[in-house]
Amino acid sequence: MTGEMVAFFFFSLLILIGAVSLVNLTKVIHMIFAVALTFLSIAGIFVLLNAEFLAAVQIIVHTGAVTILAVFGIMMTKHDDVEEGTIKRRTQKWLSLLVVVAFLATVVYFIQDIHFGSPTVVADESNTHSIGFLLYNRYVIPFEILSVLLLVALVGAVILAKEEDEA
Amino acid sequence: MGRILEQPLTWQNFLIMFLAALALLMVVLFFVTYAIYWQRKILGWIQGRVGPNRVGPYGLLQTVADVFKILNKEDIIPSKADKALFILAPVIAFVPSFAVLAVMPFTPNIHFADLGVGLLYYIGVSSISTMGIIMGGWASNNKWALVGAMRSAAQMVSYEIPLVMSIVGVVILSGSMNLIDIVEAQKNMWYIIPQLLGFIVFFVAAIAELNRTPFDLSEADSELIAGHLVEYSGFRFALFMLSEYAYVFAMGALITVLFLGGWYPPLPFLDFIPGAVWFVLKMLLFAFIPFWFQGTFPRLRVDQLMESSWKVLLPLALINILLTGLIKVFI
Repeated sequence: MTGEMVAFFFFSLLILIGAVSLVNLTKVIHMIFAVALTFLSIAGIFVLLNAEFLAAVQIIVHTGAVTILAVFGIMMTKHDDVEEGTIKRRTQKWLSLLVVVAFLATVVYFIQDIHFGSPTVVADESNTHSIGFLLYNRYVIPFEILSVLLLVALVGAVILAKEEDEA
Repeated sequence: MGRILEQPLTWQNFLIMFLAALALLMVVLFFVTYAIYWQRKILGWIQGRVGPNRVGPYGLLQTVADVFKILNKEDIIPSKADKALFILAPVIAFVPSFAVLAVMPFTPNIHFADLGVGLLYYIGVSSISTMGIIMGGWASNNKWALVGAMRSAAQMVSYEIPLVMSIVGVVILSGSMNLIDIVEAQKNMWYIIPQLLGFIVFFVAAIAELNRTPFDLSEADSELIAGHLVEYSGFRFALFMLSEYAYVFAMGALITVLFLGGWYPPLPFLDFIPGAVWFVLKMLLFAFIPFWFQGTFPRLRVDQLMESSWKVLLPLALINILLTGLIKVFI
């Protein structure tokens, strides 16, 4: 049992706790913090896989930006909202259990003898360098198109905000 | 430290890790205790007062007495508060402020984690504290707390962008995001010279990230009482304050690493003084300046705060990136 193993189970447990409580909690603000826990723990898993850059980006983008944005959205609207419509009918419960079990069985059946092959690139200290190199060489066109897409979304948001202002 | 993590997790290794972290925590607590003491002394002197001088010689034990008082206070949780989040919030605010210190290289030998993305780690982890503040503000079920928390979140999110953008220049020059490599790249010249513009942007944004005057809108005493801290008392309040001062410590360390040459002496012939001393001196300089500002600057308005981030600091930081890129390519 290495420290890495302990850390892996610890983070996996946290991910599951976050995800399950996201579904089960009723107050909308609690849900946000539950999903933040999941995001954060996924970053922990990335660290264990030597993907430090991804881990940092995961924290900055998901925990830092997405969660805070969601919190803002909630605070500006109904921040005391409580979910009420939970499933009450018994048949519905059994049916959802059936679907979940079927899904689990399918997934287990297909991944049980999957083989990912040995990693082609040895993870080293400078995986940021490798990511940057690939991003600006081989994948430069998708990268640029993505940035244009984001820019379009940004301009769209500004236009929406402006129209509201005039009306 | 990284070596120990790969070994089997025996009780001995666990103990080593635990004790090392504990030692760092003690250093931080010592720093915070005396940072508060010096803050009160300096503010006193600026305002023509004496400052704390009753407990211990020169009032040196004043903060210790204050801590004892605050820990003995009754622990009050408002009856309409969201109990779980109310209790969790100070912890979430404090833990990241301590966790960011893991990547700080204090000297070539004294450091905990040697992360390839140390810089991003700092930025990412420190943004988690914002969530603790929002959580506390919301859970208090108090208008002032909520407004203070929202202001704080808005401020921290918008100042994080110029903060990160101003660092890009340093990353371009040193070609690394590893904090140890960045310090070593400054052996001949500190980055404050080629990155003066970046340094200024970073400095202003850092003061704003720390929620200190003139950017202390989230706690604006005169309008919001104390922002997200309104309903907190006793040791939960102490945890929030501890996190705030631990960030002063961490930000001082980061600015030393990025712009002031880390453990390197200002002039080569001064290297008979150990690197740790230089590091601490530079860090204390940064810890001093916010207190000085606190005694001399008025507070900004909310709209001025947002404008100065998006319309002044961000363009300056972008210009800095462009200039640094040109320097790197043509010189």
